[in-house]
Amino acid sequence: MRRWLDRWIARRGPTRPPMTLRYRQIFILPTRFGWLLGLLMFAMLMGSLNFNNNLGLLTTFIVAGLASNSMLLAFRNLQQLKILRTGAAPVFAGQTAQLMISLDNPALRERPGLELKLDDSLRIFSLGPQERAEIAIPVATHHRGWLQPGRIRVQTSQPIGLFEAWSWFWTERPILVWPRPAERPPPLPDQASDQTGEHHRQRSDGDEFFSLRGWREGDPLHRVAWKASQRHDSLLVRDLRQPQARELHLDLARTPGRDLETRIAVLTAWVLQAHRLERPWTLNLGGVKIGPDRGEPHLHACLRALAEL
Amino acid sequence: MKGLPPFNAVAWTVAAFVIAAAPHLLAMPVWLAGAILAVCGWRLLAAHRGWRPPPALLRLSLTGVGLLLIIVAFGGFWGRRTATALLCVMLAAKMMEMFTMRDLRLVASVCFFLIATQFLFNERLIYLVYLVIGSLVATIALTRIQDMHARTGQRTRKAEWDGVRSAAILLLMAAPVALTLFALFPRLAQPLWGLPDQIMDGRTGLSDEMSPGSISNLFLDDSPAFRVEFDGPPPPPDQRYWRGPVLWNFDGTTWSRPFFSDMPSRQFVPEGLHSLVYRVQLEPHERRWLFVLDFPVRGPEQALISVDHQMLNRQPVTTLMQYEAVSNPDFVDMPELSSNLRALATRLPDNRNPRTTALAAELRERHADDRELIQAVLRWFREEAFYYSLRPSPLGRHGVDEFLFDLRSGFCEHYASAFAVLMRAAGIPTRVVTGYQGGFWQANGNYLLVRQSDAHAWNEVWLEGSGWTRVDPTAAVSPARIEQGARSVIDGPRHLLDLDWIQNLRNRYDRIQHLWNRWVLGFDHARQQRMLERLGLSGMSTERVAVLMMLVLLLVSGVLSWFLLRPKRARPRSEAERAWLALLKKMRRHGLVKQPQETPLEFAERVAGRGVEGAEEFAELARMYCRIHYGDRPDETSRFSAGVRQFSPA
Repeated sequence: MRRWLDRWIARRGPTRPPMTLRYRQIFILPTRFGWLLGLLMFAMLMGSLNFNNNLGLLTTFIVAGLASNSMLLAFRNLQQLKILRTGAAPVFAGQTAQLMISLDNPALRERPGLELKLDDSLRIFSLGPQERAEIAIPVATHHRGWLQPGRIRVQTSQPIGLFEAWSWFWTERPILVWPRPAERPPPLPDQASDQTGEHHRQRSDGDEFFSLRGWREGDPLHRVAWKASQRHDSLLVRDLRQPQARELHLDLARTPGRDLETRIAVLTAWVLQAHRLERPWTLNLGGVKIGPDRGEPHLHACLRALAEL
Repeated sequence: MKGLPPFNAVAWTVAAFVIAAAPHLLAMPVWLAGAILAVCGWRLLAAHRGWRPPPALLRLSLTGVGLLLIIVAFGGFWGRRTATALLCVMLAAKMMEMFTMRDLRLVASVCFFLIATQFLFNERLIYLVYLVIGSLVATIALTRIQDMHARTGQRTRKAEWDGVRSAAILLLMAAPVALTLFALFPRLAQPLWGLPDQIMDGRTGLSDEMSPGSISNLFLDDSPAFRVEFDGPPPPPDQRYWRGPVLWNFDGTTWSRPFFSDMPSRQFVPEGLHSLVYRVQLEPHERRWLFVLDFPVRGPEQALISVDHQMLNRQPVTTLMQYEAVSNPDFVDMPELSSNLRALATRLPDNRNPRTTALAAELRERHADDRELIQAVLRWFREEAFYYSLRPSPLGRHGVDEFLFDLRSGFCEHYASAFAVLMRAAGIPTRVVTGYQGGFWQANGNYLLVRQSDAHAWNEVWLEGSGWTRVDPTAAVSPARIEQGARSVIDGPRHLLDLDWIQNLRNRYDRIQHLWNRWVLGFDHARQQRMLERLGLSGMSTERVAVLMMLVLLLVSGVLSWFLLRPKRARPRSEAERAWLALLKKMRRHGLVKQPQETPLEFAERVAGRGVEGAEEFAELARMYCRIHYGDRPDETSRFSAGVRQFSPA
């Protein structure tokens, strides 16, 4: 039933942003209050007709006019509304992702009382004439991987809540959910024994390699290499970046853990730790090998690979 | 419960209720209305102070008290007043727990229902104001409640006014659909179900009995009873006797209708030389009778003409009713009087009014002829010191004696009653007819306005050869009453506001009321058919009218949709800008379209480059526009618009 409905909606026009809401995508039905007023109108109509009471009839018909206009106005509040894009920054499983939805009101009319609804989350907002807005909807995540949020409903019951007009759309692409990092991971696998690709000996942790570079504003005083500065007639500071820091080999096959998920959690924790220590690492997931490299893009590539595994 | 509703939403909802309930509140006992208003006041205060709803038990018991008050106020009598008062009390009770959007909406929407019920009591023109204001405030309340949900409304005075304005526009836009439905919704020729008599709680107007004071009470009431339009000139004032209930039975104080008064007449009244054709617009009086002139030939289809030539509708008249009637004043009613009827028409209660009986015997001795006897009595009324007065004293057991010999001052019902007793005592069959006499001729509107204060009572005596013959003893005492209307009989104003200019204003207002009645209230099945006939659609069945209504409704909705859904355009702000747009339109017609990124001068250059005739002038106009719009030469505006008007590119 649900799939059939989805297919039917898809047949009626675009279902993913960027899209402009047109009449084929906008649905409208009376709200519960609308049905109640309909009942009231029926009672008024019957009473007035029976007593042949023309002013009573006129009152009834005024309510009918209000109702029919409010149907049009609810529709108008959505018509030509643009959903520009959706997107969400990746989060770790268990965190709440913020699904950002960009909307644009190209018209010169205000659009008050718009609502965005996804599962149980509801956001109410208004768009001024020709205003763009980005609305965040929280999405709960549970498992790593790509999370496809359900149909998002953009709806309104303006101006008096008799009719609700709505339209459905899906996110442009699913939300990336990284694996949840292990809470107490084992220490990083520093001693790699049988790695063939190893080129240099690991130094002990106490040794600290540094180079010298020119002083820049903001460098702390204790890093200034006073003696060297004296020799060079300019201020030099110790640079703690280690171009040849020891490379880590993070291998799924050699990661401790009862099952795959535990091992992935440990690997995730390690990757994050390595990133924090600014050490280069290679991630080997059996079929996929990433690195050696370091930095933000490398981290994201690794996390994504772990999520997709 | 998520927070309390904002003050403005509550305030508008309470206001909508108070306005919709106002006429109902005025009609109920003061203490009951006070109790309802007190709850409204409490609700406003609660919204202002941010109070929570009272505990359920308290609400329940207060509601119970409200129901008890209803029973006390209306004594368990179930009528429309009771029903509407109950509705008011229930809504007030709802107000105590009106703390969610759903409850607020419920109260605001039932206000429309409350407004509609008021029209069961009164449909005068002035209530159009009530309808408009009541609907407006209820609509405002509904939009405020919606805002409270959307939480879009900033609570500023400007936002509040914008809300009022948008609600007014919403209501105004409801008018096309409402009027279409009003004109074309199929009306019923017959009610769906009968109107139970109990729902009629009676209102001022002529009753079916006559006792001293029953008609003089109406004398102070200037509200219209009915209006009449005549085909041809109206009858002279002394012929304007509007026949209502005919009374035969007398118990000493009260005259009442006989058992046969609802039976259909077996006499056929033919049309005569002096037949009158007229249309009556009868204000609802909740009784079955329709007022007609003597003697009705025919009336509306559903009405019957009784033995006493009273016209009776099938249902009580609860809403303004229009009917056409024909009367033949020359008709002779009952040339032969059966002995049964003669006995009934001369019956008097025993041991009452001895002096009157003696007088009747004395008169009978002197005048053997009935006609002479009647003339003698009328002469006596005229020549002796009888007065027409509004403030008659209460009468005792021998009321007619006291009236005729001691007080000699009274209203028409006293004269009619005394005259009937005197006649019956003399053996002349007599009955009392109540109704209205006279009316104010609205020369501008071409109709006769008959007010409640024109209520009257007169007699009919049965005479050999002329049947039942009208005799009006009041006319003998006070001819002005008949000639100039009821108001003329009393010197000076009847009450504080009874001034001539106010009376003139009232007459003027009544002309508008008359049109309102004719076109709005009296719009029924027959009138709808007539309207359609005029549009060339005669003999439409109910189904066809319904189909027509749907078609017109589609059309109207289509136009409305176009109007509402068309994209809003930025309006050019200045005259120069408007002229410039007109100029661009002229260029467009020749295939020269200004690109959005082009400045006026760049466009002019491009036009010149295309070698179009008139490019020079166009460039000059573009320069002028730039000077006006961006420079400091707004004084050139009129020259610019004139230039645009003359400009025509080849």
